[in-house]
Amino acid sequence: MSAQDPQNLRELGERLDEAQRKRAVRTTRPPPTQMGIAFRFATELVVALLVGGALGWGLDWAAGHFGVRTKPVFLIVFFVAGAAAGIRNVMRAANEINAEVAGSPPAPAVRDDEEN
Amino acid sequence: MAMQPMEQFQVKPLAVLEHPLFRIAGHDIYFTNQSLLMVIVALAASAFLTLAMGGRRLVPGRAQSMAEMSYEFVANMINSATGEDGLVFFPFVFTLFIFVLLCNFFGMIPGSFTVTSQIAVTFALAALVILTVIVTGFARHGIGFLMLFVPKAPWYLLILLVPIEVISFLTRPISLSVRLFANMLAGHTMLAVFGGFVVLLGSAGGVLSALSVAPMALIVAIMLLELLVAFLQAYVFAILTCIYLNEALHLHDHH
Repeated sequence: MSAQDPQNLRELGERLDEAQRKRAVRTTRPPPTQMGIAFRFATELVVALLVGGALGWGLDWAAGHFGVRTKPVFLIVFFVAGAAAGIRNVMRAANEINAEVAGSPPAPAVRDDEEN
Repeated sequence: MAMQPMEQFQVKPLAVLEHPLFRIAGHDIYFTNQSLLMVIVALAASAFLTLAMGGRRLVPGRAQSMAEMSYEFVANMINSATGEDGLVFFPFVFTLFIFVLLCNFFGMIPGSFTVTSQIAVTFALAALVILTVIVTGFARHGIGFLMLFVPKAPWYLLILLVPIEVISFLTRPISLSVRLFANMLAGHTMLAVFGGFVVLLGSAGGVLSALSVAPMALIVAIMLLELLVAFLQAYVFAILTCIYLNEALHLHDHH
């Protein structure tokens, strides 16, 4: 009996590991749906454009307030910058989703291949 | 009534509380259907978690394991996105997650009101998140937090990249709030539109009445999809909060 115990314990340990693995899969990340991903990318792009445009418009307005007529310049520049920021956001979101799907700890992996 | 799919999003004072509660700076403050739902959600969350954990049994019952699972779910999420030191924010992220989740779920009850379909509510939540990120960042790194806007690049590219990073940062509260709000708005509008079809077809008489089964079946399917969306959007809101907090905590120092 006592000779068998380590064997039993090992089996128990294995079963516990198995159970914990299953549980970890169940309690963590839900898979992102296609629609969710599409929606996320769309909002990232559109919102960045809007924010860029609004910033440019605001700067033009502020400049006009101080008597400098820059009227469409800032709007145009920042609209383009907004488009760039939107694409950057989408790349970032794609990296996050990739990391999420891979199921590994997302943060470091994402940043590393993103900055280089 | 059936043909006004946007009517469900109207914020209006409760019928029993027609008079404003009080006045602030010339504005009447009412207790609206939205306020009521938020109070219900807050009470339901507190009551559920308190009662479920009240027994504190070693082997959890059904309610207790639900409460424990939601705890573990959020704790895992924070841990994997920010690492150990992000767990300081557990109460914050957990509260956000449960609040958004329950608001979405209570909105699924026919005839109730979806708090998260109001941009004012979602933007307030998103602004809270971003303010927390900014305060944490400056508290952790001082003025060095501004290095968040300076990616690794040659200096002549930085002239271009820094404004882009700043805009990208500014979009966060907006995309965070718009995503949740638009998902809820779209889903519930779709439900109401198909509900209108059921009523129209059903009252048309003859063969058309029999056809009203089709949109009804579709509503059931959309309802299931919306339950998934309700959970998923709460999850996305919480995980993005974690990702943003991670940046404030660690800047670029994982290189």
